[in-house]
Amino acid sequence: MTELLHISHTMSLSWRYGASWYFAEFMRALRDERRILGLRCPVCRRVYLPPRPACGNCHVELREWAEVKDTGTVRAFTVVRTPIIDPATGQPRPASYGMALIQLDGADTTLNHYLAENDLSKLRLGMRVRAVWREERVGRLNDIVHFVAEDSDQ
Amino acid sequence: MTSRQLPITNYPPPITTHQTAGVNLTFSYAAGEAASRFLIALRDEKRIYGTRCPVCCRVLVPARSFCPRCFAETTEWIEVGPSGNLVAIAPMPLPPCSSSPLLPLGLIRLDGADTSLAHFIGEADFDAWRIGQRVSAVFAGTRRGSILDIAYFKPAQGV
Amino acid sequence: MRRVAVIGTGQTKHAKARDDVSQAELAREAATRALADAGITIRDVDAIVLSNMELFEGRALPEMWVGEGAGGWLKPVMKIATGGTSGTSACIAGYHQCASGLFDIVLVVGWEKHSEGATQTGMALVDPLWDRNVASGAVGNFALSISQYAAERGVTPEQAAKVAVKARRNAAKNPCAHLQMPDLTVEQVLSSRMLADPIHLLDMCPQSDGAAAIVYAAEGRAEKLCPRPAWVRAAVTRHDQPTIGDLDRRLVTMRTLRDAAREAYQRVGITDPLKQIDVAEIYEPVSYAELAWYEALGFCAEGEAGRLIDEGVTGMDGELPVNPSGGVLSANPVGASGVIRVAEAAMQVMGRAGAHQIPNVRTALATGYGVYAWSDVLILSAD
Repeated sequence: MTELLHISHTMSLSWRYGASWYFAEFMRALRDERRILGLRCPVCRRVYLPPRPACGNCHVELREWAEVKDTGTVRAFTVVRTPIIDPATGQPRPASYGMALIQLDGADTTLNHYLAENDLSKLRLGMRVRAVWREERVGRLNDIVHFVAEDSDQ
Repeated sequence: MTSRQLPITNYPPPITTHQTAGVNLTFSYAAGEAASRFLIALRDEKRIYGTRCPVCCRVLVPARSFCPRCFAETTEWIEVGPSGNLVAIAPMPLPPCSSSPLLPLGLIRLDGADTSLAHFIGEADFDAWRIGQRVSAVFAGTRRGSILDIAYFKPAQGV
Repeated sequence: MRRVAVIGTGQTKHAKARDDVSQAELAREAATRALADAGITIRDVDAIVLSNMELFEGRALPEMWVGEGAGGWLKPVMKIATGGTSGTSACIAGYHQCASGLFDIVLVVGWEKHSEGATQTGMALVDPLWDRNVASGAVGNFALSISQYAAERGVTPEQAAKVAVKARRNAAKNPCAHLQMPDLTVEQVLSSRMLADPIHLLDMCPQSDGAAAIVYAAEGRAEKLCPRPAWVRAAVTRHDQPTIGDLDRRLVTMRTLRDAAREAYQRVGITDPLKQIDVAEIYEPVSYAELAWYEALGFCAEGEAGRLIDEGVTGMDGELPVNPSGGVLSANPVGASGVIRVAEAAMQVMGRAGAHQIPNVRTALATGYGVYAWSDVLILSAD
C-alpha cells in the first residue's frame, strides 16, 4: 500500500475594498451623527437598508436617502452554537451568539446583525429591539455592537 | 421621515475604502497515489521518476497516473535524470513562495523525459547560463516528500 | 434549438476524505465512468463544462490543473462557480452548448474536495461591505430563514427529522453516497448536537469529497448511442438579490424556485406535479429546506409540506419519491452536488439507478439551490 502524502500551503490573505458613494455616506452618518440611512426606490418606494446603488426589483438607480430609526422588529432569529470563522479577524467567533434579521423602523428590508441575547427562550419573532452603539465609532457596521430588547437596561 | 437628495457629481466621499483583516487559510492537498510515489522516491531514494503513456509513448515528468493528452492510464514507471538540458531560464531571480534562497527559475528536460520540469537553478552566475546547458539535480540534505527535496539544478560538465 | 439528452453518467464514491486521489484524479474518475456509461471516448467529446467552487480548495483556475483530469486537453472548456447551483448551472450551460447546434457531445464534470480546504472561510467571504460582518455560514443563514418558515407554515422539528431519516436510509441503497445510515431514527436526529437553532447536526448536509459527470448528446446522436436517453425538456435558472436581508422570507416565498418551476412546468405541460412527475432529485442542504421546496415546487399547498413527509408521499414507495439517491443530505461535494441531482434524475429515466431505481419513470425533476436562494430547475423525460 502506497504511503499517501498531503501537500500543505498556508496563506494569509487580506483585502482592501473600494467603497462606493452610498457606503461612504451611510458610514459617515453612522460615525459622525449616529444616524442610520436607507435608500428609497422611486418606483416601488421600498427603503433599502443596507443601502445599495439600485433597486434589484425595479432596475432603477437609488438616489433618495431615507431616515431609519435604530429600533426595529425581529423578523428571523437563531442562536449559533457552532464555531464560525469571523472573516474580520480570521478567528472563530466564541459560540453561542444570537443573530437576527431585523427590520428597523423606516426600512423595508431586514438587517443581519447580532442579538445580545443567546438564550433561545427569550427570543421570539416580532420582538422589538434597539441598537446598542459603540462609544467610539469608526464607520463600520459594528459601530452598532448588537441589538437588545427594546425595554432592556443596556 | 426626512429625505435628501444626494448630488451626483463632485461628492467627496469621506470614507473611500473598507479593510478586511487577514484570514489565515491552510490547505492540505492530497497528492494521490502516483504523485505520492514520485515524492517518496525523491525523499527516500533520491531518484526521479516519470511514467510512460501507452498510447503516445511520451514519458511524463513528474510521474502521474494518466496522460492528459491521450486520457489514458499510465502504469509504466521509468527513472529519468538526474541530469538533463536547460530548456528555459527566467532572467531575474524570482521570490519563491517558500523559505528557499532567491534563485532563478528554469525549465529542465531531464534525460529520458518528454516533458520539462520547472525548478530552481543554482550555483552559477546568471550570465554564464546558456539554453541547452547540461544541468544536474542537487538533492536537499533533509527531505520530506516534496518537490523541494530537489534543492535546485546546477551546471554539470560532461554529464 | 434542437433536442438534447443525457446518454451517460458517472460518479465517484463520495466520502469524507478521498486521500487516495488528487483533485484532477477525482474529476477523472467521474469523467471516465460517464464516458464508459455513454459508450464513447474522450475524443468524441466536443466541449466540456466544469463546476467547482475554487475558493473552497484555495486553488485558482480549476479549468487548468483539474480541467486536464476532466479530459480538457485541446477542447473548449468553461467553468461555472455559483455556490450550490454550480453543478446544475453547469448542466444547464452544457445543455445550451449542445442545444445551440455548436457542439454535438458535451461533457459536464463537477467536483469538490472539502477535506483539503477551508469551506467555512470560503462561505464567510460574502459581500465585504455588509453581510460579511455577521455571516455565519450556510448553517447561520438557513437557521434564520427556518425561524420564519417554521412559524409561518407550522412544520415541526420532528417532521424535519423525518426528512433527514428518509435521506440517509435511501442513501443506504446508493453505493456512491457518503452518509449511509439505514437505521437512523428521528430521535437520533433530534438528539444530535445543535448547530444553530433549530438545526441539529443530523439535519444538515455533510461536507464531502466527490465528483460527478454527465454526457449530453444531440438528437441524431443520442438515439444511436443510448437505448433510453433522458431528454432535457426544460432547463431554467433564477437568481435573486444579493443581501441576506433583502430576501423576503426566503424559505417561505422561495420566489426563485417558484418562478423557475413555473416556467419549467409550462414548457413541459405539467399542471399537477405530484401526478405528472415520477421522481424528483431536489437540492436540500438542510432537512427543513426540503419541506419548503415541496411547497415552492407545487407538490402540495402551502402549509401541507409536513403532511407530505408524515404520510410518506415522498418516500421510495410514495406517490412522488424525492431523493431516492439520499440527496444532498447524504453527499455534498458542493461543485458536484448539482451534477449529482441531474445525473440521478437521468439515471432514473434511463433505468440505470440500480438498487434505488424507482419503477416506471418517464419524467424526472432535478433542482439546484445556491447560497442566497438561487435556483435551477431541470426536467428530463423518456420522450
